[in-house]
Amino acid sequence: MKLGPYLIWTAAAVAIGCVVLLGYFVDSQLILSLRLALMRWAVLIAAAALLLGLWNLLSVHWTKVSEQYQGWPYSAILILAFLVTLVLGLMYGPDNTVMVNIFNYVQLPIEASLMAILAISLLMAGFRIVRVRRDLSSVVFIGTAFIILVATGPWLIGQDSSLQIFFGQIRNWFSQVWAAGGARGILLGVALGSIVTGLRVLLAADRPYGE
Amino acid sequence: MNVMGLTVLALFVLLMLFYSAMRKRWPAVFRPIKAYDELNTAVERAVEAGERVHLSLGTGSVIGSDSAAAFAGLSLLSQIAEATTTSDKPIVATAGDGAMAMLAQDSLQSVYKKANAGEHYKSISGRMLGPTPYSYTAEIPNLLDSEDVSVHVLTGSFGSEGALAADFGRRQETFVLAGTEDVLSQAMLFATADYLLIGEELFAAGAYMGSGALHEASVRTQDAIRLLIILAILIGTVLKTIGVIA
Repeated sequence: MKLGPYLIWTAAAVAIGCVVLLGYFVDSQLILSLRLALMRWAVLIAAAALLLGLWNLLSVHWTKVSEQYQGWPYSAILILAFLVTLVLGLMYGPDNTVMVNIFNYVQLPIEASLMAILAISLLMAGFRIVRVRRDLSSVVFIGTAFIILVATGPWLIGQDSSLQIFFGQIRNWFSQVWAAGGARGILLGVALGSIVTGLRVLLAADRPYGE
Repeated sequence: MNVMGLTVLALFVLLMLFYSAMRKRWPAVFRPIKAYDELNTAVERAVEAGERVHLSLGTGSVIGSDSAAAFAGLSLLSQIAEATTTSDKPIVATAGDGAMAMLAQDSLQSVYKKANAGEHYKSISGRMLGPTPYSYTAEIPNLLDSEDVSVHVLTGSFGSEGALAADFGRRQETFVLAGTEDVLSQAMLFATADYLLIGEELFAAGAYMGSGALHEASVRTQDAIRLLIILAILIGTVLKTIGVIA
């Protein structure tokens, strides 16, 4: 390990991480107060980082417009929309009708449309799996999705018939036994992975804050 | 004081240090994960063809409970960035959070400095695409198209928008690898991504991409603790079945 100024912020990150982590296990008023203060600082710094992120977003698109990169008109629209929203937000505040209308009639419909596209994308991806990826896991995936869809959706004929009840029972068996068991196994793996990732940062093996 | 919690934490740390120290005497043998094998090949191909690699750190925040997945993504970012420092089109890392974008910039800058290629580093290589999950996703097609991306890696915290981000990559005929901590999103990504990292596979990125001893040790620690948990579950089930515990 080379000596350098990065050792200072590595030591600071490790010390602060240890104090915050200890705050969850030790009932000491001093550590609890320190943890709370550090968490508040983190929220403030994250808010400042959001501003820097927005500045970064603006500078990326400004570069694209000024150097006429492919797709620069989209960047120009983004900059215009960004500045208009920023100015209106600063002038009227976030609770004003103008800002609420911008949110309700521009951002909300666009995000809702993307969610609608997601439904179509998933359907198309399902068909693509059948066509391209013909392995065991794909067959299980498609078969399970088919059974859940058939058992959950309304039937045009035979509603409340013994066949539909049978499919309902199969669906419950799949979701409550197989899917719940599998999800718990995956969550266990994710939890273990999250712990060791955090510990690697605390042991300074991972230094995402640079060197 | 939560003695049980501290003991478990100490067990994690001790096992990680133990496995790290025993690395040479007792080398780790990992099962092959096709996604990482294919990723290495795809990155090499992109560098040779003068195409770009895009790595997404997701839409989670640094201070949220979902940050671990993005930190695992940062490990992967460093490894891929090392391989692409000589490329005409170096890697681009994006995030939906300002602080995460700054961490991506710092990671990239470190890699370029280490490779003595500091002059090739540009601060816009690490960027925030949009502050909300869907505004972030909406910018992805433009990024993939305008920056000549051929490898699209999604490793971080994603909700349902992750499936859409992966699908945009498929539509541009890029190599798409995805991994997230959210179980529902993993199910959707199975359909839309070429390769999916399931569960803890995402957190093993450093070990599989050669990030160092502690990365390998952490994978072995996970396996050891998992074995203990499975034993505890089995013993608990037997004891409950025979009526020893209520």
